[in-house]
Amino acid sequence: MDGRTIYAISKKEFMDNWRNKWVMAVSAIFLILTLVTSYFGSTGTFNSIDTEGVGWRNIDATILVMLIFVMPLVPIIGLMLGYAALVGEREKGSLELMLSYPVERIEILAGKLFGLGAVMAAATFIGFGVAGIIIALNVKGVQWGNYAVFVLASVLLGIVFISISMLFSAIFKKRSAAMGGAVFLWFFFEMIWRDPLISGIMSTGSSWYCAAKLINPVEEYLTLISVSISSLNGLVRCIPSFVNAQFIIAVILSWVAGTFALTWYIFNKKDL
Amino acid sequence: MGIVEIRNLTKDYEGVRAVDNLSLEIEKGEIFALLGPNGAGKTTTIKSMLGLIFPSSGEIKINGFGVTKEGKRARKNIGYLPERVAFYDNLTAIQTMEFYAELRGADKSECMELLREVGLGDEVNKKVGNYSKGMMQRLGLAQAMIGNPSLLILDEPTGGLDPRGSWQIRQKIKELNENGATIFLSSHILSEVQEVSNRVAILNHGKLIALDTLDNLGKKLDIQPSLVIELQRPSQHILNRVKQIKGVKDADMSGNVIKVRCNPRAKTNIIRAIEDGGGKILDFRTVEPSLEEVFLRFTEDE
Repeated sequence: MDGRTIYAISKKEFMDNWRNKWVMAVSAIFLILTLVTSYFGSTGTFNSIDTEGVGWRNIDATILVMLIFVMPLVPIIGLMLGYAALVGEREKGSLELMLSYPVERIEILAGKLFGLGAVMAAATFIGFGVAGIIIALNVKGVQWGNYAVFVLASVLLGIVFISISMLFSAIFKKRSAAMGGAVFLWFFFEMIWRDPLISGIMSTGSSWYCAAKLINPVEEYLTLISVSISSLNGLVRCIPSFVNAQFIIAVILSWVAGTFALTWYIFNKKDL
Repeated sequence: MGIVEIRNLTKDYEGVRAVDNLSLEIEKGEIFALLGPNGAGKTTTIKSMLGLIFPSSGEIKINGFGVTKEGKRARKNIGYLPERVAFYDNLTAIQTMEFYAELRGADKSECMELLREVGLGDEVNKKVGNYSKGMMQRLGLAQAMIGNPSLLILDEPTGGLDPRGSWQIRQKIKELNENGATIFLSSHILSEVQEVSNRVAILNHGKLIALDTLDNLGKKLDIQPSLVIELQRPSQHILNRVKQIKGVKDADMSGNVIKVRCNPRAKTNIIRAIEDGGGKILDFRTVEPSLEEVFLRFTEDE
């Protein structure tokens, strides 16, 4: 593996995707939703946070309400960035040209993951960053550390879904099939394998259920926020006692590493 | 040792044999053409050479490196123009070229010059997504030349171009060859390669059915030049006289044109016979055997 090759591919991937209008739109949506949430957000009382009434709210309260739209939205963005990464270029024909250069397939995969991850990070930083500054101008004593945890965790969530959808992109021969796979994944992780539905079927409180729930990256994200921001500690029920922030980050990263390895295994043997 | 060595290449796709036990060796400095109808296995051969697909059996070496095991080193010195060129819509032409220069480890400063060389000098900052098909083909050629590769693999390089465009590509191929590059190209249009290539291989249903220089192929098949003679008042009588001349293989008539396949030395006798028979010659020309004929003969035998 050659770092320069990987860098060249991630740079290309970033430039090509960043200029897509919808990536800009994502930034704008993050910005607007954050501001609207901060100003109008009202979900009743949680712990000591007062979230009633209209007016600029502090960061912790804003984060709490924003989770409602970040949890479904960030995975969608990750899936949209990743599902066409390989199959799209393959259908178009540019993948075979890239592979005719002295490039290894793993370098292409790594370059794409880094490049798309950078797009995800940039869109998130700009959207949430600008919103954070506006909130800070209106609210005293902003807990920047908590906000940084929230933004970084959101980027990580997006990268997991980029990595998972790249696996679909390597498996399927048609762009439309990979997209179908991505939509299915979203439903699976957001709707099926989530707290309310699963807890309805399973007996709540059993310790292995609490652990099984944590395999879902969306739950991992929520748990990471919950254990890292003290005012949101009670957000997730039944967190096994051995679970801390480092543990969850390790689980999230193993999702990325695992799907990346599987993608490589499949892509490396493919006739293009 | 050839710059390209293909040994017993076989590739099966879900029960269909796309390439069947193909062996080829291409020498440094050649312009080598791989010919065959669509679906003959040309693109499969080229993709195998680049490591894009994995052979069912056999092996390919480029510059002495095995394509499957040492792919990165084998591809170090190859420029490739795919049959269907595609780039990244949101990158400009110069950004596209610089990306490929980085991949090849070549000097980025030559990108601008290469774009000028293919006639895209005024469009370097335009997004490739706005390029026309002809411009894409030019950009395709420019990227293949990055880093001055010793081997150029061109898959149907003139496909889909107008006559002027394909003439320009042929000139470019000759020029690159004169500057030392070995050229491997594929085509199903015979007249296109006839002018440029030194050696040809003919592929049909994945099998190599001929491998030789163009001249030798013509000789082997005993394809002789034809005389095309336009007469004022052709008749069966004249045709019969022509057919009896020594050295004439066959002759046929359509409208007021008689076409004679013959030994070139019989020319004078043919003209005399026609005039003696009362025919008046309006036009007269010799047609050399085309690759088309060579090709048809081989594929008909299959």
